[in-house]
Amino acid sequence: MPSARVDTAELPHTATHRARVGPLLTTLGAASVLAFALLTPDEYDQHLVMWVGLNAVLAVSLRFVLLVGETNIATGAFYGIGAYVAALCTVNFGVPFPLALLAGGIVATLVSAAFGLITLRAKGPYFMLISFAFTEVMRLIYTRIDYIGGNSGIMGVFPPQSLDPLMPALTVLLCGGLVLALYLCERSDLGRVFRAIENNDAIVETIGINVMSVKLLCLILASFAVGVAGALHAHIYNVISPGDFSYLVPVFALAYVKIGGDSHVLGAVLGAGLLTLVAQALEGAGALEQILFGGAIVAAMLVLPDGLWGAGKRLLGLLWR
Amino acid sequence: MGLVAQLCLNTLQIGAVYVLFSLGLTLVFGVMKVINFAHGQFFTLAALLIAAAMPAFTVQLALPVWLDYLVSFVLAMIAVSLLAAALYFIGFERYLRDLVGSFILSLGLLLLLEGIYLWLFTGAPRVVAKVLPGQISLAGAAMETQRLVICGLSLAFTMALYQFVQHSRLGKALRAVAEDREAAMLQGIRYRRTSFYGFMIGSGLAALSGGLLAPLTPITPALGSDYLTKAFIIIIIGGLGSIPGAILGGFLIAMIESVAGYYFDLSYATIAMFALVIAFLLVRREGMLGHAQR
Amino acid sequence: MALSPLLVAQDLSRRFGGLLAVNDLSFEVREGEVLGLIGPNGAGKSTTFNVISGFYRPTSGRLSFRGEDITGMSASAISRRGLVRTFQHGSLLRDMSVHDNILIGALRAVRDRRGRQRHVRDTAELLGLGGLLEATAGSLPHGHQRMLSIAIALAARPTLLCLDEPLTGLNSTEIAVALGTIQRVRQEFATTIMLVDHNMRAVMRICDRIVVLNHGQKLAEGTPAYIRNDPEVIRAYLGDDA
Repeated sequence: MPSARVDTAELPHTATHRARVGPLLTTLGAASVLAFALLTPDEYDQHLVMWVGLNAVLAVSLRFVLLVGETNIATGAFYGIGAYVAALCTVNFGVPFPLALLAGGIVATLVSAAFGLITLRAKGPYFMLISFAFTEVMRLIYTRIDYIGGNSGIMGVFPPQSLDPLMPALTVLLCGGLVLALYLCERSDLGRVFRAIENNDAIVETIGINVMSVKLLCLILASFAVGVAGALHAHIYNVISPGDFSYLVPVFALAYVKIGGDSHVLGAVLGAGLLTLVAQALEGAGALEQILFGGAIVAAMLVLPDGLWGAGKRLLGLLWR
Repeated sequence: MGLVAQLCLNTLQIGAVYVLFSLGLTLVFGVMKVINFAHGQFFTLAALLIAAAMPAFTVQLALPVWLDYLVSFVLAMIAVSLLAAALYFIGFERYLRDLVGSFILSLGLLLLLEGIYLWLFTGAPRVVAKVLPGQISLAGAAMETQRLVICGLSLAFTMALYQFVQHSRLGKALRAVAEDREAAMLQGIRYRRTSFYGFMIGSGLAALSGGLLAPLTPITPALGSDYLTKAFIIIIIGGLGSIPGAILGGFLIAMIESVAGYYFDLSYATIAMFALVIAFLLVRREGMLGHAQR
Repeated sequence: MALSPLLVAQDLSRRFGGLLAVNDLSFEVREGEVLGLIGPNGAGKSTTFNVISGFYRPTSGRLSFRGEDITGMSASAISRRGLVRTFQHGSLLRDMSVHDNILIGALRAVRDRRGRQRHVRDTAELLGLGGLLEATAGSLPHGHQRMLSIAIALAARPTLLCLDEPLTGLNSTEIAVALGTIQRVRQEFATTIMLVDHNMRAVMRICDRIVVLNHGQKLAEGTPAYIRNDPEVIRAYLGDDA
């Protein structure tokens, strides 16, 4: 039973249409978001764009691991590791900004490799629960280590002053780049192997591919992306604390994927964008915020089982005829 | 000696609640192959309803506290059962055997319900009046009488559930479906009906443990969420879907928590538990007593 | 007929708890032949298959392939050495197209992209799937699905192709086609083939040699003619008259 279905069957004329229209629309969309990020004077909007960017990477990264059939809630842990490493680099060691971002990605990758080696032998619900527990435990570990600020976390994580006004645009570029990179992997032969593993991993073993190695690679690539995103997060918000990296982060990201539509990477981006906007709109409403946000998720799951993307495709399919 | 007895009693008491709660979670997984992230919400609702109803009864009906508790308990169980049935038919039935889909649905439900509780009951911790007065001394360890009684009740319920699952017709059906759904269906077991009953019993266990916990701790709408992480660890160690595994795992975790919590900070206990899970995974993928994944 | 042994199983045993599913089994598969593995239900055929392909580790005994000791190696390691198998149930990637299914098989075998495309097309043609490349694997009728599972294995250019009940669920026409295809595979690719099946007539027709299992042990081994007349084999299938 696939959890991240990817469309292989298409009507002929829509297929050729999509071949041209899809990338074109996406590029246009990305360009307009970038322009918005560069030009909008409103700080509120700037923060919104950056927030959407980060959430999009989280969602796409989670979806990436869903391609091999695993629900990787440890995404939250690697996000946090990226953030903390980058924050330490900038605040404690004065490492240049780009290197701090890279360091966040690399350390997250290394930890994810160790994590994956041990836990990827567990599958499905076991892997989901243990990755959940890992995120929780990392959060607890942060609270216990005084060097990284314990419960209070780390403050004063600033990007270089010259880059400060460009942060929204930079975020869009970097996040967009990470999403694109993961998408390109998905479309490559490696992505085909991922899907094959999700369908039937015994077949993949039997033609000579070590499934565990490929799953590990998938996890590592996804974790690099969120590690860098976490590093960026630290420099955008300037303050990080353990509470920022609870299990809710990856679980919400999973909601973005499911509600946006798990069959295409843009579904995950769409879900991230939409739900971030909804969360923003509801901010400060107290209990009502939880009720409406939770209600939105429940409603989406009941009414749109294949997400917005799936619903959109069905609609377009109807219109095209 | 007093210390050991105290730690043992603590383990039993904490463990009894964890076990009932985790049993519900593992039962639902076994039958429906679904992890209900909102499992804690049944737990919380039962506790909240009891905490809210008891003062009202005391005032209105002037009954002794323990009878108030009993009546409120029954009413709370009925209310939670209605909620569980509603959630099953509206949502979970559609996502049977869909791990990720049901998980996200339950996430939405968790937020929705927790928000509703916050709105209805406010976030202020509620304390239930002492149901039974006094203290008891056992082997040099002191414990409130009500804690001991409630612990005893929890253990009794756990044993009753174990017997039920082992020997009753429905219990065997639940186990059969958990082990091999298709084979069970070939034997004439009605899957959808069994799923429903499994979900109701599982949720009922969450409510039961919440109700039993109510007199022992201050109750807030976020209560269930704290127990959830531990429950996840317990059912991994015990094996997803395994009833005896949840029982063993629950007491094991309770023991770690009570010992580690005594000597160190409680968060270290959680970290230690996680290390234990990792160790288990390295040695035995399916947990102590779980079924092998297909 | 080439006689050098390709796969050698020596005193293989596989235990599951209290059950000894395979018990001191020794046999060999010779280069270029079609070997059949048969036996009544519960004889240990599936277990043997799983052990030689690396999906189970042998409890004891030795396994070698092309002169190399492969005892205890993982399934993918054994596959990389040229032993590729199909599965009795669900030997496909259901949600992917026929083309992508075969492509996965070809991934390690053919590195050059264009060559790989050609190889996929040729393999599909050989197994009668040439016109179905865009179809979703799960939507194919049963006979085509069986052919596809063979195609995937074949795309990996195996030295030894192990077919797990390739004829189950096929009607007589489809069986004839399948047998013809197996013959062609053997001739055109010089692939050695080992198969497990319950269809006695088909096995007798296509195999050069047959190994008969019962209760996890080798009961008899020889040509179809020999096996057909062996009293032990007959008794095993028809049961002892106590």
